Amino acid sequence: MHKGYLCLVLHGHLPFVRHPEHEDFLEEDWLYEAITETYIPLIWVFERLLDDKVDFRLTITLSPTLISMLSDPLLQGRYIKHINRLIELAHKEIERTAFQPEFNSLAVMYLEQFCKARHTFERYNHNIVNAFKAFQDLGKLEIVTCAATHGYLPLMDVCRESVRAQVKVAVAHYKSVFGRRPIGIWLPECGYHPGHDEILKEAGIRYFFSDSHGVLHGSPRPKYGVFAPVYCKGTHVACFGRDLESSRQVWSSVEGYPGDHNYREFYRDIGFDLEYDYIRQYIHPDGVRINTGIKYYRITGGTNHKEVYVPRWAQEKAAEQAGNFMFNRQKQVEYLYDFMKRKPIIVSPYDAELFGHWWYEGPLWLDFLIRKIVFDQDEIRLITASEYLIENPRNQLISPSLSSWGWKGYSEMWLQGANDWIYRHLHVASERMTELVRGFPSVNGLLKRALNQALRELLLAQSSDWAFIMGTGTHTSYAVRRTKEHLLRFTRLYEDIKSNSIDEGWLSDIEYKDNIFPQIDYRVHQ
Amino acid sequence: MKLKKVNRKKRDPKIRILAKKITKIPSTTEVKKGILGVEELVIEQTKFSQSTQAPRPYRTHPQDLPYQYDLDRIILQVRDPWWCHAYWEIRTQTLDRLRNELAQEFYQAKRILRVYDVSHIIFDGNNAHRFFDIKLNESVNNWYIDTQGPGRSWCVDLGLLLSSGKFITMVRSNTVHTPLAGPSWITDEEWMIPEDMFARLYGMGFGLGRSSPVGKAWQEGVKHVLSSGVSSGASPVRPLVKEKKFWLVANCELIVYGATLPDAKVTVQGKPINLRRDGSFSLRFALPDGKQVISVKAVSCDGKDERTVTPIVVRETK
Repeated sequence: MHKGYLCLVLHGHLPFVRHPEHEDFLEEDWLYEAITETYIPLIWVFERLLDDKVDFRLTITLSPTLISMLSDPLLQGRYIKHINRLIELAHKEIERTAFQPEFNSLAVMYLEQFCKARHTFERYNHNIVNAFKAFQDLGKLEIVTCAATHGYLPLMDVCRESVRAQVKVAVAHYKSVFGRRPIGIWLPECGYHPGHDEILKEAGIRYFFSDSHGVLHGSPRPKYGVFAPVYCKGTHVACFGRDLESSRQVWSSVEGYPGDHNYREFYRDIGFDLEYDYIRQYIHPDGVRINTGIKYYRITGGTNHKEVYVPRWAQEKAAEQAGNFMFNRQKQVEYLYDFMKRKPIIVSPYDAELFGHWWYEGPLWLDFLIRKIVFDQDEIRLITASEYLIENPRNQLISPSLSSWGWKGYSEMWLQGANDWIYRHLHVASERMTELVRGFPSVNGLLKRALNQALRELLLAQSSDWAFIMGTGTHTSYAVRRTKEHLLRFTRLYEDIKSNSIDEGWLSDIEYKDNIFPQIDYRVHQ
Repeated sequence: MKLKKVNRKKRDPKIRILAKKITKIPSTTEVKKGILGVEELVIEQTKFSQSTQAPRPYRTHPQDLPYQYDLDRIILQVRDPWWCHAYWEIRTQTLDRLRNELAQEFYQAKRILRVYDVSHIIFDGNNAHRFFDIKLNESVNNWYIDTQGPGRSWCVDLGLLLSSGKFITMVRSNTVHTPLAGPSWITDEEWMIPEDMFARLYGMGFGLGRSSPVGKAWQEGVKHVLSSGVSSGASPVRPLVKEKKFWLVANCELIVYGATLPDAKVTVQGKPINLRRDGSFSLRFALPDGKQVISVKAVSCDGKDERTVTPIVVRETK
């Protein structure tokens, strides 16, 4: 008989980066790398589990921007080009390393992995969202939604119309993709602002996740800490708090798993290591060295001296650490069960891109962990938040606290010297959008197209990713450009709409460039 | 046959950038707040990792955003339990009007932010629990306010403080509420939990383990989490060992090239290779230390003729 639950959550998101007007665009690689290194390896994990009839439960967010890119024919075509180039490079690497068997076997491993990734991509008709949908339809995976463009909602609170639009556009998009309503939502950056649960309720959402202190600092005191969900006072939307102990085991480099010396070193990529003329056609067309995804070294130790990666050792380590993670959860659950007299739920959310992209062995670890939990023990059961609520409908009512899982736990990552200038523009744009919706409650034709595009531009400007990148202080120019570009497009649309002088040619051009959410209805912004 | 020197970069520039960034961020922190979410920050950042900024044309060259929007307004937002951020703009007409009304006094007046504690009240301008002033330079248009008051409500006036002590409000902000910095003191009768038990759950939620300090002040507990090496110093980016500034990496690759009839079959070390259309070929190998015997064998398409060339290459690194 199990004594508690484990709710594993992977948050998959990338900002909308799509530049049809350029043949090659560096930032589009974020998507291609994540497809090869994270999303497809996760699909393999789920397929293997299904093949072996493992009854697993896992929760995953696919942000609306990520889904839109994965479903976009232009980006799909470019991914094929990208993976074909990698396959070609892997072939060359096999040849080049002929005198070095330890490198050669790794080159073969990469070639197999890339070919398999291309095959998987083709198997799902170039749209891997289909894979995740299939796992959800089989009841193994619960896909939760996110805000439309991953806008950081606490800093949008002065314009709740925008919060509403972020949520409602996401919900409508989810329905069109998955053929059902989303039950849960991953608030971007886990950012919860009191009162936003009202908007979630309006949109038909039953639960969201918050960071630990969102629940722990809520009022009144949560009787079970983060080990049971709470209902928001007034709306009864459920809030599941993150367990930091299990998070830290995976996130942290000091105690965390990904820092193990047997694991693959992220920073030693042949895009940087190899002779320039040789690697030139596989890096950026401008000749800038970038990661290719082929990496031959293991972490080795604390110095810059690196030894060759040995996959077998890494696999053994992943299995061992999966066992360690499970053991710790068993102990945690046993202790909490005695203490709470109720089955605790341990919520462990992670960035999906941690698995595979950053932590190469992450998907394998997940595979081992799920199998071990299903077959090797009885204390813990894997569960999704919605299943938990069906089994445990009686929960405490509290008002959760403002919180995020970002740097320092609140809003500072997105509100600091480097990025605070954006809010005076974003808030005015939000107000103007509300003004437009009020002024044009029901329209058709060109005007409707312009209004819909205005909302698209506003949403794209609101992506938390731009403020995040500005906040990190490096390579900020793309983030600044994107923020300004969408705000300027919005402003021109606003002015054109108000003065009844919409330039159809220009509108068509930005509709073609910023083609996200084709079904959008501007009236949700109210 | 030629030997090629290969330049291998010891550290890619990104490592340096990340390392710089990690050390940079805690230094900008406010001392008492401690750090949560550093790991999340770094992992999220790897999604956007790029080596260096690639020079390239952008799709548009936006004219810049306006400096202001011809509004009288001040917006207040919460940054964390202690700090709020206000940004504002005042129209020139508004300032002109005040200048006319106040005449000489206008020039002697101090521009200030008056921060009101408006917790649990409907603020009418006069009933705040308390307020404090922040003197501003005329040119600033935003300010981070240290309220020192978690769990309170705040409203801010931007205005002029006259030499007489009279305060003239130019714009009033929205009201915001700072979150508590620890657990609520409000408990729920139906969902009551003894203090020490809650302390234990609280510590566990923060990942302090079962032996977390029971009965210690809440603030202490949080501080422990926030300031422990785990969160603040740690990140999944392995700490980089500082190397001496000057460094050298040298490596060798080997190019074997040649040509034969385009329809011949060629093997190198027993493995078949593809020829270019003109019958030429070139192969590139990473060259480790030691002796490599590279037999290149060509067989004519009818199988009757055969030639072998066997370069032997020795690399020795001192």
